[in-house]
Parts: sequence; C-alpha cells; structure tokens
Amino acid sequence: MVDLSQINKNQKVLIKQIHAQNTLKKRLFSLGLGVGKEVEVVETSLQKNTIKVALGFSAVALRFDEAKMIEVEAR
Amino acid sequence: MKKIVIALVGQPNVGKSHLANAISGSNLKIGNFAGVTVEKATARLSTEDFAIEFIDLPGLYSLEDFSADEKVTKDFLLTGEYDLILNVIDSTNLDRNLMLTTELMELQKKMVIALNMDDEAIKEGININSDAMSKILSIPCVRVSSKLKTNIDLLVKQILHVTKNSLVTPKLVYSDEVEEQLQTIVRFLDDKHFRSPNSLSNRQIAVGLLWQKKEIYALMHEQPLYIELQPLLNNALGHVYMYCQCDDIEEVINRQHTAFAAGLGAEVLSVSKVKNRNLTQKIDTLLIHKLFGLPIFIFLMWGLFQLTFTLGEIPMGWIEDTFGWLGETIGESITNEALKSLIVDGIIAGVGSVIMFLPNIMILFLGIALLETTGYMSRAAFLLDGFFHKFGLHGKSFVPLVTGFGCSVPAYMAARTLKNKKDRLLTMFIIGFMSCGARLPVYVLFAGAFFEESMAGNALFAIYIIGALMGLIAAKILRVTAFKGEDEPFVMEMPKYRLPSLKLLWFVVYSKSIMYIKKAGTFILLASMLIWFISSYPKNILIEEEYATKIEALQAQLEEAAPAEKTEADSEAKAIEEATANAEIKEPASIEDAIAALENEKHEKLVERTYLGIMGKAIEPAFAPLGFDWKMGVATLSGLAAKEVIVSTLGVLYSLGDEVTEEDTSLREIIASNISLASAMAFIVFVMVYLPCLAATAVFAKEAESLKYTVYLVIFTFATAWILAFITYNIVNLLA
Ligand SMILES: Nc1nc2c(ncn2[C@@H]2O[C@H](COP(=O)(O)OP(=O)(O)O)[C@@H](O)[C@H]2O)c(=O)[nH]1
Repeated sequence: MVDLSQINKNQKVLIKQIHAQNTLKKRLFSLGLGVGKEVEVVETSLQKNTIKVALGFSAVALRFDEAKMIEVEAR
Repeated sequence: MKKIVIALVGQPNVGKSHLANAISGSNLKIGNFAGVTVEKATARLSTEDFAIEFIDLPGLYSLEDFSADEKVTKDFLLTGEYDLILNVIDSTNLDRNLMLTTELMELQKKMVIALNMDDEAIKEGININSDAMSKILSIPCVRVSSKLKTNIDLLVKQILHVTKNSLVTPKLVYSDEVEEQLQTIVRFLDDKHFRSPNSLSNRQIAVGLLWQKKEIYALMHEQPLYIELQPLLNNALGHVYMYCQCDDIEEVINRQHTAFAAGLGAEVLSVSKVKNRNLTQKIDTLLIHKLFGLPIFIFLMWGLFQLTFTLGEIPMGWIEDTFGWLGETIGESITNEALKSLIVDGIIAGVGSVIMFLPNIMILFLGIALLETTGYMSRAAFLLDGFFHKFGLHGKSFVPLVTGFGCSVPAYMAARTLKNKKDRLLTMFIIGFMSCGARLPVYVLFAGAFFEESMAGNALFAIYIIGALMGLIAAKILRVTAFKGEDEPFVMEMPKYRLPSLKLLWFVVYSKSIMYIKKAGTFILLASMLIWFISSYPKNILIEEEYATKIEALQAQLEEAAPAEKTEADSEAKAIEEATANAEIKEPASIEDAIAALENEKHEKLVERTYLGIMGKAIEPAFAPLGFDWKMGVATLSGLAAKEVIVSTLGVLYSLGDEVTEEDTSLREIIASNISLASAMAFIVFVMVYLPCLAATAVFAKEAESLKYTVYLVIFTFATAWILAFITYNIVNLLA
C-alpha cells in the first residue's frame, strides 16, 4: 500500500482509501480529502513532521502520522 | 416591528464577520475577539418593518462536532431559535464549501446563500451562475462581495423575502438508489401517520435514520413503531451499502454529498482563465520553506515586539506629559488637601499610568489581527507543529497561545478549536505563560527603567520569548504527569492569503482600545481610588507632627547657618536620630539634604502605617525571599484584579511614598532608583507566570468545566511563579 507520506514533493496522486477512525475520517472528508480526489504534495516541513497538500482550490496541512492513513495511487 | 434572527453559518474564513459588517454598516456591534470568532456575536440592522439580528457563529467545516468550537454552532443550529440560515460561501472554493451547504440543507430550515468574495472570484476567472444555482437548490443564491459591498441590498431583499414567505423545501437529491430507500422509509412513516414531536418532516427523519444520526435515533428509539421500523431500516441500509460497495456510512454520506456538490458545480461553475490563483502557492514556497520558514516567523514576531515598543514610545511620551500637566493644573486649583491628593495622586496617577500604554496595546492587537486575517496564523501552526509536538502540544494550540499575547480571556475560548479535552486543558494551562496585553505595561515600565532605549525593545521580546519557552517546558511537564493521553491528529486547512480590509482591522483595534479605555475609566479608576484610600488612611497625626518639628528645627538651623558659622544645635535637634544628628554639619546644602531625607522618611513611615502598609507588611515575609519590598508585594496582589492595576498601584504607592520633584517625575525613574535589578527581574518573572486576572480565571473555570482544574491552575501558577522568581532573584544577585 502506498500512502500519502511516501509521496514526493510536487507529485500528484489520487486518494484511494482513508484508513482513519470515525471523527478523523469525517474531518478529512469535510476538508475535501475524499476518496477519488486528486491531491498534490506541495511542501514538507524540515523534520518531516508535517506536509502540505493542495487539492482543487484549497490546501490542507497534515502531520505525517495522519498522512500515513491516506492510501493513494499514483496517476 | 418584527424581529428576525439570522444565523450566519459558513466554513472558517469565508468572510462571515466581514459580511455582517458590510450589511449592518455602522450599526455593527460584534463582541468578536481579535482573530477567532468564538462567542456568538450579534449585529443589528433595522429596515422599514424589520429589526434584523445577525448571529455570527463560529466557522465550521461540517456539522460534525469535531471541536468544541464547532459544537457551539451545531448545537445552535439544531436547538437555537432563529428564523433563517444565511450560508456564507467562499466563491473561490465552491466545491468544498458546498459540502457544508448540503448538510445545512438537510436541516430543512429557511435558507439564503451568499456567494461571498465575488470580487476575488472574478479576478480569478471564476464565474458562478447564481440564478441557475438558486433554481437547482430552491434556495436564493446571491453573489456578493463584502469587500466592495456589491449586491448587499439584493441580499437583504432576498433575506426579507424568504422570511416573509413560508418554507420552500431545499432540493437536495441523492443518487436514485438512496432516494428509493428514503422513499420506502418515508412511506412507512406516513402510513403510520407519524408526526415527530419537534416538527421534523418525515423525510428529515428518514434521512437522519439512514445517515445514522444519533439525535434522530434517540428520538425514534422511544417510539413504539421503532420495532416495525427497525427491519425496514436494516434492509434499506443493506441496500445502500451494497450499492455503494462500502460499509461505512460516513463514506457513503460523503460520496453522496460530493456527488451532489460536484453535479451542482458542473452546472453552475465556469472557470475561464487560470490567473492569480497560484499567488498563495508562491508566497507559501517562501513562508513555509523548509529552512527559511522558521527564521522568517521568528523575525516577524521580533518585528512586532520592536514596533510595539519603539512606535508605541512616541505617543506614550505625549500621554505621559498630558497627564503630568493635568495633575499639576488640577492640583493647583484644588485647595482641599485630601481631595487634591485623591485626584492627583489617586485618580490621575493611577488611571494615567494605565492609559499611557494604550498605544502599545493597539499595536499588539493590530499585529495579532493581522496574523489571523491574512492567513499567516495557520502557516505558523504548520511550521511549529513539529516543535510543539515534542512538548506535547498541538500545532493548533498556536492560535490560542498567540491570542494569549493579547488577552487570556479570548485565548481560553480559542482553545475550543482543539478537539481533544486533554490537549485543550493543557493548552489552557499554559496560556498564562503567554504574557497578555495587560502585562505589557508592567514590562514596558520595567524594561524602560532598567535598559537603554535601544535595548528595551529587545528586552521586551526576550521577556515574551522566555515566557513562551517556560510555557513549553511547563507543557511538557504537565503532559507527562497530569495530562497523559493520546495525541490529537493534526489536520488543518491552509487558507488563502488575503489582504484584510483596513476597516475590519480598524474595527478590531478600535473595539480593543475602547475596551481598554473603558476598563481604565471604570475598573482601574475604582481600583486606583481604593488603593489611594487604603494607602492614605488612617492618617497618622503623631508621625506627621514628629517629623514636622524635626524639619522645622532643621529649617531654623538653615536660616541661622547663613549669619553665624557655628550654631549650637538646640535641644530638640539633639533628639533626632543618628542620620540627622550627623547633619549637624554646617553646610547649608547638607542640611537641605537632611530635610529631604527626613521628608522621605516621613512618607515612608506614614504609608507603612496605613491599611495598605499594614497589609503589605503582613504579606512581606512571603515575598521577601524574592527581593520584593512590601509595595511590590501589594502590587502583585492588586494585579489579581487586572494586570494593569500593578502599574497603577506602583504609581500610587511610589508617588505617595516619595517626594516627587521636578527632575524625578516619571514613575519609570522612580522605579529605577528604588528597586534593585535583581528584585526587578524577579518581579517581572513573577508577573510573567502568576495567575492571569480574576476575569480570565473565571473564564477558565467556565471553559474547563471543572472546579478542580481551576484550583489546580491557581496553585500551579502561584507555585511556579514563586519558585522561578526566587531562582531569578538569586541568580541575578550572584551575577551582579
Ligand atoms: N477579496 C475579498 N476578501 C474578503 C471578502 N470578505 C472577507 N474577505 C477577507 O477574508 C478574510 C476573512 O474574513 P472574516 O470576516 O474574518 O472571515 P470569518 O472567519 O468567516 O468571519 C479577511 O481577511 C477579509 O478581509 C470579500 O468579499 N472579498
């Protein structure tokens, strides 16, 4: 399984599945990180703590721990 | 006149406050705190027949109560009393905003949609066909720009129109399969002539059941027909799961809503040119850059504190002069000694010393408002999360913590954005370490007294940084002891960079300033008078007379000193203690000095015997190891009422206790000459850490929903403050 934390900067991927628990899953959905959405990793912080992904017209910041829960596939 | 209550709902940063501002113009009275909208803020607007009241609810991404903050909005929408939902949408991010809209539509309330930020959308080549959208949803949609105030009248007209007419059910359609199942449930409920007790329609109930909403389940569970309903429901759910090929209802709902939003977007949204849109991206490559991001952040913060000091210094001088002049002029025109003292030493000295810091406060709040409205605050959270996480904090804690630099009260409220109760409490515990605006006067006073002007800004910055670092360490300690538990996930929107409107900024700064002045005019005025009273009474005639005779005797000496070189000290002068006895020396100048010394001693003795002096002496032993004299001890205690009172208390105490001469008028100089560096540093450390004011503590108790934690907070802050101040005092003494 490839997850979002393994994706290089400036690479575009499709979200395949979200392996998060209830509330977190809902939150990810409502921020636009839904299954089938295309996202791009645009920035990672110095010690790989947080990443910023761009999707559609907005951007979301995640910790690496959360990014690991998002299964993606390369385009 | 009929009253209409309108709930403003939207995702964060869509411009709700701005829109409320634009609609109600100068009538706006939002008790909104700098930055984050937390409390329900209301604005009023009167038209011909209606009084419209807006309730600015905290922004939320979806109707799930992820954070305490969002729960406020959800609870209000479900149970509050309002006539209409005004859903504010950011036109430049229609897709995601519609996700909330679809959920709002499921509430089956009267609704109007404001497609805000139209100006920006046009610039970015985004065009929304609002007429088509209105038709599809059966909800009036109006393109507005709260910045340029376009179409605001039309929006108000639509709001009135919808209120006057009866509810038109919003058209939210799901996929055919889901609709089919919903129909089955609705038909069943209709057949049973079911009427929900809180006037929900049967379709609403069906949707709630199928989407497994807790509230609806609780409601239906109590109904006898639930027994028959249950198998039906199971069947329906089974069908939906099978059709969607997934057995997580949240995912099903999300797909349904996404599909609806996407379908709607395809119908009404057209994007022509791709311009401008990457500006945020470009700025971000620099501002959240791996290497440069943090240094830039620190530089910006440093700049803010430099500005607070250097820029604030200029009007501060004027205000100080004005109050000095005021005191003198008024003092001259009052003959009654007691009244004169009350007004000049009590009121003017106390209130003046607080008002003086208004410019600093304004600059600080402007800075915080800028951080929030431009969108930089979430970048800072992004940059700091890794670092914060090490201390057991959350990147999002950054927002309440920075707000804490303004005032602890909104900061405690801003902590609601944290979902996890432990994270929230932990953040609230260390908010006090972020020195609030009210403590700024104390720092400015002491930094100015003990550092060169060019260094004072740096000293100020250092105080804030050290406070924040101590907070982080405290957080770590609390995290591994009192607040053990799982970490809250970090997922956060990075909003677009926006230049905030000057009006909105001015509004924030203005309302803060008014609040500060009001506080100075009422609370601090009363506190100053009280402090003046207990520091002037009871009058001690005995001491006054004793010193009066001593001074007279010396004055007589002074007069005699001119003609005769050597004069026998008369019997009364002999009675004077050592200090003055030595002053038998013949020089007139030294006799004058002796008189001044006597005057000081007199004041000292007088104040010591007042109520305040007695109190101060009683608590002195507790503060003595920190190097505080009793005046400083009293000032810290009075600071519990409000931190500004520390300065006004020092102002009153030192202006009473000392002979204020022309070249020694400012409190700053008095302090520099009366307090040692070590004591001053210990005092600053104590003020940095001990309990925020009583008002903030009350808010803490309310937000923490626990008396236990409030008591902990009091003990924790006092103990930490005392210990740290003790250490500081001794270290500085050793070094000096
Ligand atoms: N260009 C533009 N900016 C806007 C508009 N409305 C609000 N803003 C900006 O968007 C930001 C967020 O606004 P605010 O009212 O604080 O959002 P809230 O969090 O939804 O209350 C601020 O910087 C506003 O200046 C608009 O119509 N056009």
